[in-house]
Amino acid sequence: MARKNRTMTVLLLIFFLIVAAITLLPLALLAVSSLRPGSDLMRYGLNFSIDWNTANLNEYRMLFSGANNYFIWYRNSLIITVVQVALALFLSACVGYGFAMYDFKGKNLAFACVLLVMMVPTEVILLPLYRLITRMHLINNMWGIILPYLVVPMLVFFFRQYLSGIPKDFLDAARVDGCTEYGIFLRIMIPLMKPSFAAMGIYQGMSSWNNFLWPMIVTNSITKITLPVGLQSLLSPYGNNYDILIAGSCFAIIPILILFVLFQRYFIEGMTAGGVKG
Amino acid sequence: MKKQSFFRKFLYSQKVAPYVFIAPFVITFLVFFAYSIFSMVMMSFQKVAGAGTTFIGTENYRVLSNSIFQKSLKNSIFYTIVSCALMIPIPLVLAVMLNSKPMRAKSTFRSILFIPALTSVVVAGVVFRLMFGELEGSFMNQIIGMFGKAPIVWLRTPSTVWLVLFFVCLWRWTGVNMMYYLSGLQQIPADLYESASIDGASVMQQFRYITIPLLKPTIVYVLTISIFGGMAMFSESYMIFNGNKSPNNVGTTLVGFLYRMGFEQNNLGIASAVGVVFLLIVLVVNAIQLAINGTFSRKEN
Amino acid sequence: MKKRILALAVTVAMLAGSLAGTTALVSASEDGSTQGTNTFVDGGTDLSFWTFQELHVPFWTTMADVWNEQNPDRPINLTVTNGESHSTHSKLLIACQSGEGAPDMADIEIGYYGSFLKDGYLLPINEAVEPYKDDVVMSRITMYGDADGNYYGVDFHLGETVTYYNMEILEEAGVNPDDIVTWDDYFEAGQKVLEATGKPMTAVETSDLFLPQAMMLELGAQYVDEEGNPNLVTDEHAKVIEYIRSKLAEGTIEIAPGGGFHTEEWYGHLNAGDVASITMPLWYMGRFTDYCADLKGKIAIAEMPVWNEGDVRAVLQGGTGTSVIKGTENEELAKDFLAFAKLSAEGCTYEWNELGFDPIRTELWDDPALTENQDNKFIAYFQTNPFDILKKNGTDLTAPDISGQYAATYQTLVSTTYSNAFEFSVDQDVTELLQGEQDSIIF
Repeated sequence: MARKNRTMTVLLLIFFLIVAAITLLPLALLAVSSLRPGSDLMRYGLNFSIDWNTANLNEYRMLFSGANNYFIWYRNSLIITVVQVALALFLSACVGYGFAMYDFKGKNLAFACVLLVMMVPTEVILLPLYRLITRMHLINNMWGIILPYLVVPMLVFFFRQYLSGIPKDFLDAARVDGCTEYGIFLRIMIPLMKPSFAAMGIYQGMSSWNNFLWPMIVTNSITKITLPVGLQSLLSPYGNNYDILIAGSCFAIIPILILFVLFQRYFIEGMTAGGVKG
Repeated sequence: MKKQSFFRKFLYSQKVAPYVFIAPFVITFLVFFAYSIFSMVMMSFQKVAGAGTTFIGTENYRVLSNSIFQKSLKNSIFYTIVSCALMIPIPLVLAVMLNSKPMRAKSTFRSILFIPALTSVVVAGVVFRLMFGELEGSFMNQIIGMFGKAPIVWLRTPSTVWLVLFFVCLWRWTGVNMMYYLSGLQQIPADLYESASIDGASVMQQFRYITIPLLKPTIVYVLTISIFGGMAMFSESYMIFNGNKSPNNVGTTLVGFLYRMGFEQNNLGIASAVGVVFLLIVLVVNAIQLAINGTFSRKEN
Repeated sequence: MKKRILALAVTVAMLAGSLAGTTALVSASEDGSTQGTNTFVDGGTDLSFWTFQELHVPFWTTMADVWNEQNPDRPINLTVTNGESHSTHSKLLIACQSGEGAPDMADIEIGYYGSFLKDGYLLPINEAVEPYKDDVVMSRITMYGDADGNYYGVDFHLGETVTYYNMEILEEAGVNPDDIVTWDDYFEAGQKVLEATGKPMTAVETSDLFLPQAMMLELGAQYVDEEGNPNLVTDEHAKVIEYIRSKLAEGTIEIAPGGGFHTEEWYGHLNAGDVASITMPLWYMGRFTDYCADLKGKIAIAEMPVWNEGDVRAVLQGGTGTSVIKGTENEELAKDFLAFAKLSAEGCTYEWNELGFDPIRTELWDDPALTENQDNKFIAYFQTNPFDILKKNGTDLTAPDISGQYAATYQTLVSTTYSNAFEFSVDQDVTELLQGEQDSIIF
């Protein structure tokens, strides 16, 4: 039995090593290519044939030289991600808490609306939403990117799920102690929700940092766009700028990768705890 | 002073508090979602031209008979069906294997498989576009070259275009779906499997009779997000083709068509009509999904 | 604890990144490469400008400085905002439509121009152009106009279409481009090239329309009819498509790698000397100098072939029309500045020297300071002098009709029509194919 298990272990490990290799391959290609001049890619294609003698960090040097907008985009993305994650987490937690802990008139209707928003892809209302943002004079403004996504239904759903495990007597006890309704939320519940904040923080951080379509639509000034939109703009028909595109793409993955590596334990715990219960 | 304390009392009462809590949602829902849907439906019956906007009845809905619209609808449906067929079983099998007892270094592999999800669609698009470039030296052409095959023009051949799109989809989302399955698997009590194996059930039988039924809620959830991800697909195609312009519309999706009408050609009326049709499709798919899902859970009970 | 420290380190690194971003912002606006302004003039009128091409930014700011020098009584402070092409155009369109947030002036790419023209979002500039009328090629200006004789935009260049020959390949095949007059001559030579080198004579795009459009313009045909409705099903169009198809079958034409002449695959292919010639407007010189370093000194520019000897040869293609947007508060000033920047000797000289754009102003074609300047990277790159062709072809030039539904028609042409005609449905009857394409245009 033990022997059979060992063979299984080896087979499984080999299998997953192959899967992992395939998974990492595109990123490895990207990393290797970032050491080659961008014009090489145009002439010979993206591949692993790299002459280590000519490999260099010129592309990164160019990236950091400040002669391009890369770090403006980086900063825009960073600010938008941080603001959006903070607001979305707090507000969605409020809403989720409201749904989980109270019974009130219209609750079912309101929650049905949450589900509705969750089920309709935002792409459907792209156009009217864009016109609305235009009329609010939020074009080319980070609030134009953030405002429609202040409350994320997916997060509301998740927090509601997470909080429904907490008995309501707990609240009554706090009330007896003289806590106000908001005090309970701020002082008691928020600390309790920490692990789920970590999980949803990564989730929201990922989608904010990588969001492409909506920021592309809302911003157009080259100094107001976010990193993914900026990277895409390097592929314009008026001259592809592969030099900073490839190095820039590599560098764009880094912050979110670090966050993930640091907090992945919470992330996975949080996902499991909130769980998908249908 | 008295008034203020009354107001304070009102705001702090247990009756009012829940409304304050859900207010952020209600406000954003009304302002952004409900209003957008309303104005979209209105515009779909109008010829939108600034001050000269007029109602023109259902004329915008003639777009339904346009061949490009139909093609993009077909593309979206095809993409959705195949991506569901790929994205539900493959991550499930991987998750079960990863979760199995003899497996080692579980968390390392779990993280590695999740990494692609951390990359932006832009980065993924750039890499895959170049990997599947038509040059002889492009990575995929080198690979097939090893088997003596001539280079393929991947991105301008309808069949291989889909191959690339599904590859991107698998690459980016396998890790995410696997994560959902893993969290579902961890909620299945281990003694179920133990008693099953004592009863002599094979691994396949355990998978069939324990894992699948108990994972049903997760599977349904993954199915739901895959359907909506598939129907809303646009950015992948946009990146692979460097713009909303695939040759002969091989990769034009419903959202791509909507984007072209609304943002590229400024045909707001027609774009709104497409949006309304899109909304109806989503709602219908949802209803069907819920109905099937509902019958299943009744059966379980 | 360790994790806390790491998290702190990450935060610090990110803040450092943002700071680097701030310095980058400062330097970027100093060299004017992104969002540019001219040297500030006290009391100047503020004008806002949108473009989609980074190279245009310094042109506009420089021209604003020159304008302020020459017109101290009407100074301007110009702010040029550069954005990504697709989104800039759609945003401009929506801003025009809602009447809010549009700039005073904007660069509009030719493929999009029709959308702005047909809904009347632009102001006519006839009066402002009047003083320059005798010095410039007017067909390049009137093309950005309507049937009533009003015109609304001026291009950066003439955009005269020529043929670029890779002389190394032609010599190997024993072909002399001077002997080529008609398209039939051209493809006969193409046969020789194919036999001698195995390389195609030229390429056709599936995601753009330059070759078929040039051939059609030579036949006097347009993509829209006089009312501005899509008009793809014409005998001339069918003839052009069948002609190109036959050459594709024979191997003297190839489908451009990447599908178009602005893709990285194509640039690599061109630079590697894998195709003998390409027919594109003169502004394509810049693509050679930027992307095809290996071809320096090997490319000769010659007139484009014609259908029959003695035909009008010269056509204009591609381009960007700059226009004044309706709703501006400084109508006269914006129009005058526009005409000055694009049509004055100063403006046209800048366009040639910095951007390699063939001047719209005819006197410059004989100005040795431009034509003989060996320090100019374009003159230095090519074997032959582009000005010789401009002079030979004269000013009787055919321009594409971009009025009415051209924008929607163009979208269909470059997304489906030519990929169907040349790649996907090569056996389908031409008329049937074109009818299907025309029916699919939404307008």
